[in-house]
Amino acid sequence: MNISTKKESTALVVTVSGRMDAVTAPEFEKSISDFITQGEKAFVVNLSGLEYISSAGLRSILACAKRLKEQSGKLIFSGLQGHVKEVFSISGFNGIFKIYESDAEGLKGV
Amino acid sequence: MIKFKKGIAFKLALIFSGSVILIFLMIFGLYYRFTRAMIEKNTAENAKNLTLGTVARIEGILRSVQQVPENMAGALERGPVSKEELLDMVKSAVKKNPELYGSAIAFAPYAFDGTSFYYAPYYFRDKGSLSCVWLGNANYRYFMQDWFQIPKELGKAQWSEPYYDEGGGNALMATYSVPFYRMVKGKRTFSGVITADMSLKWLRDMVSAIKILDTGYAFLLSRNGTFVTHPREKLIMNETIFGVAEELDDKSLRDIGRDMISGKAGFVHSPKINAGRPGLLYYSPVTSSGWSLAVLFPQAELMADITHLNWLVLILSAAGMLILCIVVVYEARSITGPLTGMADATAEIAAGNLDFKMPETRSEDEVGILSRAFSAMQKSLKSHIARLTEATAAKERIESELNIAREIQLSILPKIFPPFPEMPGLDLFAVLKSAREVGGDLYDFFAMDDDHFCFVIGDVSGKGVPASLFMAVTKTLFKATALKDTPPEVVLDKVNNELSKGNEKSMFVTAFFAILNIRTGVIEFSNGGHNLPVVIRKDGSMEYLWRTGGMVVGAMEGIKFERGALTLASGDRFFLYTDGVTEAMDESKVLFSEERLLKELKLLEGLPVKEVLNRLLKMLVEYSKGDQSDDITMMLLEYQGPKQ
Repeated sequence: MNISTKKESTALVVTVSGRMDAVTAPEFEKSISDFITQGEKAFVVNLSGLEYISSAGLRSILACAKRLKEQSGKLIFSGLQGHVKEVFSISGFNGIFKIYESDAEGLKGV
Repeated sequence: MIKFKKGIAFKLALIFSGSVILIFLMIFGLYYRFTRAMIEKNTAENAKNLTLGTVARIEGILRSVQQVPENMAGALERGPVSKEELLDMVKSAVKKNPELYGSAIAFAPYAFDGTSFYYAPYYFRDKGSLSCVWLGNANYRYFMQDWFQIPKELGKAQWSEPYYDEGGGNALMATYSVPFYRMVKGKRTFSGVITADMSLKWLRDMVSAIKILDTGYAFLLSRNGTFVTHPREKLIMNETIFGVAEELDDKSLRDIGRDMISGKAGFVHSPKINAGRPGLLYYSPVTSSGWSLAVLFPQAELMADITHLNWLVLILSAAGMLILCIVVVYEARSITGPLTGMADATAEIAAGNLDFKMPETRSEDEVGILSRAFSAMQKSLKSHIARLTEATAAKERIESELNIAREIQLSILPKIFPPFPEMPGLDLFAVLKSAREVGGDLYDFFAMDDDHFCFVIGDVSGKGVPASLFMAVTKTLFKATALKDTPPEVVLDKVNNELSKGNEKSMFVTAFFAILNIRTGVIEFSNGGHNLPVVIRKDGSMEYLWRTGGMVVGAMEGIKFERGALTLASGDRFFLYTDGVTEAMDESKVLFSEERLLKELKLLEGLPVKEVLNRLLKMLVEYSKGDQSDDITMMLLEYQGPKQ
């Protein structure tokens, strides 16, 4: 799993690629957690390069969302496709998170 | 000692000594060559100077001796002299010239006054005073002697070969004879011979006074090679150089003799010249008498100093080499000693004796560092092994606990198939295979009342112990919540609210909860974010269930779940599974997928429910090559028609 970030005016764009499973999910969680500690409150997470997400990955996302909720922050997703899009759909995550086609739309949605 | 010989000390000593010996031999060889060449050069120079000097002195004396009879001849040739004048001439010549032993004026027959057949006065030194004898009588016809005949015939002055004058002077001498002439009837006529005897004693003294080193000497050869002077008395006048060469069987000496008597000069090396031992010889002719002087340098003495020095250098070198070897061996042993100790200690440690005491060293060099490093290694090995032992024990404890946990977890899942023999019209089978000892998947089924049959399948996020605890809680909650007449979406609402409370770790479970009415075949269900089950109709058609809205269970409190419903006909089947099935991965991380699942289910159509699940499970294990990444759970239910 690779994580790269880009600071935009309204939010931090976090691009995640590769596989988010029981082994790599804690890395994602820690990364987001560190940004929250540094004061970031709005995140647009681009998952267009993510090939696979397991239930452990979903748990990490949920944990991040809960932490952001305490701080009145926002967690927005963009670029979901294939397996990841399906998992979000099955698990009902698309019902509790704002999901956009692209980063630009996501940034507008912040 | 044998062990030591193969060690570093031996190698070092060998290398050092070998190198030093090689260097020394090269230096020594060069040094020896140069010194030897220098000595020989000096010797040649000295020998030449010495010989030529001596020759010059001999020549000088010979010439002064020659002068005497030549002067007298001049006086006699100027005109007749009286008997008195003649005697006086001879007497004063001998008297004035100490190098003269004697002198005679020997007239040819009747040449003095026409009457005397013999006329030859001879003055010679006799025990300190001068004596006079008249030569010539019937027994001694002097004009037949060589000293008279040869100058007369040759018509020029001549040195005789040295000879021993017995009866006369009783001494070794050589005679210089000068012929003289007078005008008779206007014609220059041979009138006699004037002789000058020179004692060779003083010549011998002079030549033997030449000291060359300790045993070197000079010698004089006559025209035919006879020894005129030589330190070995018996050779004088008795032996020629050729005789000696014969005796020594020395061809080179014969060549030298030939060169000497033919008036050549030279510097040669002769292997036997010095009484059978090698020596250097310098020779030069004494021109006026046709003799030859030679100076001999004994080789051994000439080289004595350098030989002595060589021995000294060799002994010093050998001593130095010995000291070097001792020092090298000592130093090397001071290095290898601790190393050997360390090697022994290491072998002990390797054999498991971690408490073995390392040999101590106070040295600050590399060996000391190595020794201390070894000690440190030993300590860290000890603590490491202690930690490892502890960790292993802890791991074993955890493993045994995990095994117990696994048994407990499996024991809380229903395992009696078909579940309710008293509830005909229903066949069901379920399998659960955890990826680790314990897992987060769950299934359950139970009767709500006589007509309603509940079944649930769920998958807790994550794996292992945390998931297994969450699974146990979830299963218990479902059972406790699914009371008579509770709709499925309400069950999920309640379970969700219970699980969400204080869920610090944000764990959740995807769950599909359904209630089958045995009498009618109607299934009412609610989906909490779980994989969609497959409906398999009796006619072979099959499809995934449609999606109803629904979030995962336990993630957020207060979420509302939806209800869905479908009706099963007799012979229809309902297949539930967790994502461990569709997301099973092969070696290249390719997912098993929903499509493949559907395909395989089609192939297994009509087989008993137990057989279908067992075959699917076997297929999944083979697909992931035994490296199962997630818990696998499957449940297959067959509705066999309304209850009788």
